[in-house]
Amino acid sequence: MQAIVDCNSFYCSCERLFQPQLQNAPVVVLSNNDGCIVSRSDEAKQLGIAMAVPYFQAKELIEKNKVYAFSSNYHLYGDISWRVMETMRQLLPKGSVEVYSVDEAFLDLKHIPADQLQDFCTNLKNKIETWTGISVSIGVGPNKVLSKVANRLAKKNKIKTGCIVILNDTKKIQAALQQTPIEDIWGIGFSYSEKLKTYGLHTAYALSIKDLSWGKRFLGGVTGIRLLRELKGAQSHSMQAPRTEKKMIATTRMFGREVTDWQEIEEALATYATRAAEKLRRQHSAAGGISVFLLKKAPILIDASHYHRGRQASGYTVLDNPTQLSPDIIKAVVALGKSLFEPGEIYKKAGVILSDFVPDNALQTNLFVAPADAKRKKLMNVIDNMNAAYRNDILKFGTSGTQKNWKMRSERRSKRYTTRWQELCLVR
Amino acid sequence: MHLTFVSSPIYVKPIDKVLILNCLAKIYSPKQRINTLKKGYKLISKILNYLVNIANKFSFMSFIDRDPGEGIATQQINKNYQSGQIIQANATGFGAASDDFMERGIDLNEQLIRNKPATFFFRVNSDAMLGAGIHIGDILIVDRSLPASSGKVVVAVLNGEFLVRRLQIQEHSISLVPENKRYGTIQVAQLEQYSTWGVVSFVIHSL
Repeated sequence: MQAIVDCNSFYCSCERLFQPQLQNAPVVVLSNNDGCIVSRSDEAKQLGIAMAVPYFQAKELIEKNKVYAFSSNYHLYGDISWRVMETMRQLLPKGSVEVYSVDEAFLDLKHIPADQLQDFCTNLKNKIETWTGISVSIGVGPNKVLSKVANRLAKKNKIKTGCIVILNDTKKIQAALQQTPIEDIWGIGFSYSEKLKTYGLHTAYALSIKDLSWGKRFLGGVTGIRLLRELKGAQSHSMQAPRTEKKMIATTRMFGREVTDWQEIEEALATYATRAAEKLRRQHSAAGGISVFLLKKAPILIDASHYHRGRQASGYTVLDNPTQLSPDIIKAVVALGKSLFEPGEIYKKAGVILSDFVPDNALQTNLFVAPADAKRKKLMNVIDNMNAAYRNDILKFGTSGTQKNWKMRSERRSKRYTTRWQELCLVR
Repeated sequence: MHLTFVSSPIYVKPIDKVLILNCLAKIYSPKQRINTLKKGYKLISKILNYLVNIANKFSFMSFIDRDPGEGIATQQINKNYQSGQIIQANATGFGAASDDFMERGIDLNEQLIRNKPATFFFRVNSDAMLGAGIHIGDILIVDRSLPASSGKVVVAVLNGEFLVRRLQIQEHSISLVPENKRYGTIQVAQLEQYSTWGVVSFVIHSL
């Protein structure tokens, strides 16, 4: 059997952990730059605040009902997420926890006898809650797709199910599939669900009784067959080892305000390049390709029925030698950005993407690498270590600037209770 | 049947590795050392892995649980130490005799953080627990995995506020007892507004 453990309103639960006065109050957490609502407590859901709506649209509802709104505090969420995952890793055999996202993990439960599943899940849920203060929902099924179906039902009827649903026989699976609308199946997106509805398929059950050849034709080939097979109860997604090495690293942010000045864009690009290069070195890779994009502000349309994206300018360059050194990457990024920049335009967002990786030890052993490069690599190492130890980017490159007027808005961010000595929670 | 589950042995392993390396280092001469270390470690890690597997096979059964009292002595240490971290004298002249006795230095985390995912820090902002040696400005190390039994110093949440007090559980009531005469004992009247956040395991106090 496989299970998915999913934290309940994860970001909101993290905020509540250190602000107990929020316990039964409606809470929402906003995305980067205070743009959209990305997490809602049950109380906020009941007020009719929808997921992913822009903050300004929900502002009236939020203020009227005294909803507590927070900017994303990724330092806190990241740390709490690690604690939840680590708790599971300690309670399960090695290799049977697959971290799927910041607040979800798949578990391989093949070592647990069927009659002990309920006890095991209850025990696991209680442990996670006691140790980390985060409540979770657990869905168990013969495979990943069905465990997701189970998890959705557990979250829907928290009181009735105790946040745990186990689908361990055909009858239960059938009933669960009948209660699952087609758009809520894991792996079926909006456009596919619309298409399937035109074929008269409205529940997961209706889809699950289709045969595999039908799936191959209408559900996108092999992936479709895999999905159908899992809906029928077979196992076709195996546990995945964590992706420790990325094939591509992107650092992109919205600006906190509209930016027109090249100087500010240069600072932003250099900062993103530094951040991306840091990640690159952490996974011991060197990048051979660099792309940069600048997103312009969308023109205001009078009859706009939905959000319009501004025009985007992007460029790609291949480096002579793959590199992992911040100065080289900054230089290439800034040059590329300069060629894309048009004076007089208003910019909303910029991004740096590194690609075409090679392992960095291949560079080291290269006879032709100038010794100066080895020295610079050492320098990078020192900078990385200092920034890791002292935080706040204590050492940075001149191009990144010191003002950062373009920086993300995060006016309502709570304290970083678990990662900074200066911001510890006070107790009386 | 009562069994004490000696937490996750997986986490005991890295420190054992260092211990084993150190023991072996004492027995063999420097020349022999490298080879024997490898062989010795392989053998011992095989045995350890075997024990880990046995423990894991039992761990799912609900009657085996971390024993809160015993657990303290054997709880895992979450740090991964490597043999390379054992410092050496690096003498240029006559080899330092003490090299054979080098081991990893003392790490405060080992002592103060017994269960890392469940350990949190707080800063004290009152003198209510002065008698227990908790001063204003001190750092509390709070372990949420320790059971909140009567008599423990806890971080509690009362009416949405964090308090550090000694927990006293009687048959039908809970009270929070200060250790400073200027403060009064708080009887917890409505349980729904009360919860124990975690048990204070250590205080860091600067002199």
